[in-house]
Amino acid sequence: MLQKPKSRGRAGSQPEREQDGGRGGGGAEEAPSTSRGAAGAGWQGSRRAEASPKAGPRSQKQLELKVAELVQFLLIKDQKKIPIKRADILKHVVGDYKDIFPDLLKLAAQRLEYVFGYRLGGLEPKSNTYILINTLEPVEEDAEVRGDQGTPTTGLLMIVLGLIFMKGNSIKETEVWDFLRRLGVHPTKKHLIFGDPKKLITEDFVRQRYLEYRRIPHTDPVDYEFQWGPRTNLETSKMKVLKFVAKVHNQDPKDWPAQYCEALAEEEARARPQTGGPAPSS
Amino acid sequence: MQGSTRRMGVMTDVHRRFLQLLMTHGVLEEWDVKRLQKHCYKVHDRNATVEKLEDFINNINSVLESLYIEIKKGVTEDDGRPIYALVNLATTSISKMASDFAENELDLFRKALELIIDSDTGFASSTNILNLVDQLKGKKMRKKEAEHVLQKFVQNKWLIEKEGEFTLHGRAILEMEQYIRETYPDAVKVCNICHSLLIQGQSCDTCGIRMHLPCVAKYFQSNSDPHCPHCNDYWPHEIPEVFDPEKEREAGISKSSKKSSRSRQH
Repeated sequence: MLQKPKSRGRAGSQPEREQDGGRGGGGAEEAPSTSRGAAGAGWQGSRRAEASPKAGPRSQKQLELKVAELVQFLLIKDQKKIPIKRADILKHVVGDYKDIFPDLLKLAAQRLEYVFGYRLGGLEPKSNTYILINTLEPVEEDAEVRGDQGTPTTGLLMIVLGLIFMKGNSIKETEVWDFLRRLGVHPTKKHLIFGDPKKLITEDFVRQRYLEYRRIPHTDPVDYEFQWGPRTNLETSKMKVLKFVAKVHNQDPKDWPAQYCEALAEEEARARPQTGGPAPSS
Repeated sequence: MQGSTRRMGVMTDVHRRFLQLLMTHGVLEEWDVKRLQKHCYKVHDRNATVEKLEDFINNINSVLESLYIEIKKGVTEDDGRPIYALVNLATTSISKMASDFAENELDLFRKALELIIDSDTGFASSTNILNLVDQLKGKKMRKKEAEHVLQKFVQNKWLIEKEGEFTLHGRAILEMEQYIRETYPDAVKVCNICHSLLIQGQSCDTCGIRMHLPCVAKYFQSNSDPHCPHCNDYWPHEIPEVFDPEKEREAGISKSSKKSSRSRQH
């Protein structure tokens, strides 16, 4: 693994992380002219490093190396599609550099976006978990040149996301299987492409935060409901899913006026700058 | 590392998509890399001329420098195909493998690696590797399971298997050369021509110097009377052909087929 620095146990007070996940980070404007330049600007501003007695002076190279480790850690973790916990980052990578963690993370996020086109996003407001969001649109032909499966842009997940949205953003598990059975996908039968569809939908997609899976109380036999997970909200949109559904039916998104309105509203809400305050009626 | 006199290149979406997709492969052959490059241009900059691959990659590497990674070019030891992998320059351990394998699996790899490096041929037999199963760190592993793990290594392109024997895949050499040279300084073999790490190759019967098969091919190309570059004794081994991508495409040979089985040359 990456060189394991001595972990100092639990992180104490967690300083505010400067989160710029909302704003689309313009890669160009953040481009450092030289990497040292960027690192230098960051360190000069940081009082914390000087204030902390344990830290001691750290060379430019050490800091650069730390950011590099952090970038690699985030890339490797995200490859598995499991949200990255802040605690893990502190334990496995940051270690002694805990005092400048927010700066490190910010620099790592900048490099990730500029170099790889991945934006570091917080999964939910307070959860202290992160995922990498691709700023590049996946393209169908990518599938021909990639070495792995890629994010499931078409396929089972999209179908389930579509079902959820078209059903009003929540659907019972029994209804999901009623639909999927018609496509030859059964919870109990091994599938040629999807392997174990039940595990995929109720475990893998949930763990990856694409879906939320909650038990419906007072149901007998027990039933569960699905909703979109936080990762779905970050990686795709109602409009994209609606377009997918429309394509599958060979129709136009506008053929579903209620969903189309909802998708439009979400687009408008996203386009608005994050200033807070009530949304103007469309 | 040299001083940063090299001007750092600029990343565009062409480069980013290229990097993203390259990362989905552990290692990629040159022809596929070119195809990938063309794809990225097509998506983002249809009308631009596709930059020469070497310059394209150098540009990206100048940006990657500060992250201590680079797109490294190598050559397969058995038939001289150019390959590329995104490698880690900073850490000296088996870092990329660490995220995919358990502790005992990593230790199995380490044991196999040591046997391969110590061997004369660059190959370690399955039997010899499996006999070390009791010495592994971490959870106890049975031989049957170890066989499975070895196959995983082959699938993930860390090892190559030929006739029940294992050697390092070009990917492993690209990723781990530095680590190997630092960890086993006395046992490593080095090619007399290119001075890089040598696992498989030919050696002079008289003075013992070694050369990679592709290095032999290039060095003795169109030389009907090959002699050892070091001691000048007659070079007794079969001289392989220089890898020619054009010729291969014409013949329509699939990438996975290899010409001859490993010739035992040492």
